[in-house]
Amino acid sequence: MRVIILSWEFPPRIVGQLADYVKELAVQLVKRNVETYVVTYHDFLTGQHDEPVGIKTYRVANPVRTHIGVLTWVLTLNQEVERVAANIYYKTNKQMDLIDVHDWHFIQAAVTLKKAFDLPFVYSVESLEEHRSHNADTPFNMAIKSIEWLGLYEAKKVIVKSKWMRDELKRIYKVPIDKIKVIAPKSKTWIGSILESYNSVIGGATHN
Amino acid sequence: MTQELTVMMLTWEFPPRIIGGISPHVYHLSKSLAKNGVKVYIVTCDFPGAPQHEVIDDVEIFRIDSYKNPSPDFATWVYLMNINMQKEAAALMNSLNEKVDIFHAHDWLVANAGIGLKHVFRKPFLATIHSTEVGRRDGIHYDYERMIHETEAWLTYEAWKVICCSNYMVSHVLWAFGVPEDKLVMIPNGVNAQEYSKNSDLNQFRRKFALPNEKIALYVGRLVYEKGIHVFVNAIPKVLERVNAKFIIVGNGYMKEPLSNLVKNIGLAHKVMFTGFVDDETLRNLQKCADVSVIPSLFEPFGIVALEAMAAKSPAVVSDTGGLAEIIEHDMTGVKAYPDNPDSLAWGITKVLLDGNYAETIRNNAYRKVQEKYNWDKISQQTKAVYEAVLKEYSKSPWT
Repeated sequence: MRVIILSWEFPPRIVGQLADYVKELAVQLVKRNVETYVVTYHDFLTGQHDEPVGIKTYRVANPVRTHIGVLTWVLTLNQEVERVAANIYYKTNKQMDLIDVHDWHFIQAAVTLKKAFDLPFVYSVESLEEHRSHNADTPFNMAIKSIEWLGLYEAKKVIVKSKWMRDELKRIYKVPIDKIKVIAPKSKTWIGSILESYNSVIGGATHN
Repeated sequence: MTQELTVMMLTWEFPPRIIGGISPHVYHLSKSLAKNGVKVYIVTCDFPGAPQHEVIDDVEIFRIDSYKNPSPDFATWVYLMNINMQKEAAALMNSLNEKVDIFHAHDWLVANAGIGLKHVFRKPFLATIHSTEVGRRDGIHYDYERMIHETEAWLTYEAWKVICCSNYMVSHVLWAFGVPEDKLVMIPNGVNAQEYSKNSDLNQFRRKFALPNEKIALYVGRLVYEKGIHVFVNAIPKVLERVNAKFIIVGNGYMKEPLSNLVKNIGLAHKVMFTGFVDDETLRNLQKCADVSVIPSLFEPFGIVALEAMAAKSPAVVSDTGGLAEIIEHDMTGVKAYPDNPDSLAWGITKVLLDGNYAETIRNNAYRKVQEKYNWDKISQQTKAVYEAVLKEYSKSPWT
């Protein structure tokens, strides 16, 4: 199996809990013989780095340096993510199985690559704008929510880390419950369940 | 490989959605390209009543769902709209089996979508720069403006070639973004002179705007600082000292209210008419009726309204700046005035209005020039030649 993971944080860049989670995910995938590519952001450690554990990491910087907030910052970063993800896609002779996108930041890239290459994606939800900015419905919050909605709509499967989050997705975004898979991070069956979800999205034979 | 050259053009405005000059530009360019054997797909923003998909004179138009929620600000709206534009264009490319040779984007408003598509599909990417933030704002003062400026720089960086509509814009883009000179191409803007050639009796029409003994001096454009509309208004009393005229101001903008208050306060409300936006036919008829067309811009990348005046056989008085300085030859195809100088502008307007022979010579010279140089057929052939040159380079360049 061959997977591209999109995450806006990945060690050494740690913003919240997501960085370590994605790192552990990539490590475990490699152990299960999944060819794992991580596309992430870093201001200056850009380019390709093959990590000792076998993860292929690509870091991109923002081509637009000046921004008025995190929203516009994210929106001009996506094209660089697309560029690198497309490069991986072509380098592997288009033999890519799926994308796993973590949170809302790189949803645009995941959706565009899906439309372009019929490449399915999984949307892994760490947190939602509804909870990060509780009860805030400014145009800024609504824009992020609309991106989350787009990701939930276009994703083949949504992976969440708790039943509570599953119910929140159902409540806030009316996501059909059978599209959501609850996989608790620290559980023994964690990586097995992730692979199961990936396989269910890919459907038939994998590319590697 | 397809035999036919195919281009996918991205633009945030296309008729019936008309905000500025990009919409008519892309409309005429795409139609003329189609006549010259180029297959054109237009991907643009939706508009109430306009179909999602239509074909006009062999140009295929796809209107995307632009971002409809309230937006924090204009630039953020642009980036959000680009999510959908890129998504829809990617789906379209997929359905066309990627049988598109070139992506062509117009201004930073579609930069994100175009740049993403370039890398995802590995096709050559061109940009036309119609205007710049540093020019519009007369400098970069806030982070908001710098963000747009850097997005424009990013667009010129990613583009294989950058098309500008005047030599002035070529040097401006060179200065503003440090674009290598060999990436820049000058192809002028155009005007469709036939749209002004219909013969109709405009006496009745004219009476709605001016008394028979009043000359008409016309301004067409957004009422914003960079267009120098305040310079025109300040020139009005000086012109009225010597000529009886009506001053008609077409367009909207944030300076409309302060300027119309100013006109009232100096007691000239009966001599100046603010029409707001008018429909195409009214606009063309006004341009045909105008005894002089005044274009007092402080910043003007091209100045398409000068071409329209020339096509309408209305003598143009322009400020000697930007693209206007290239279109107009003084005393030949128009009159040039010093920029930001009401005395100079008033002098030019008065000269045209008082000297009938002079005005007639300018009318004829100007009309000949638009037909020879600024016709869309010629412009689309030049554009096609750029496409072909880029494709030739592309065919020899590995994409890694």
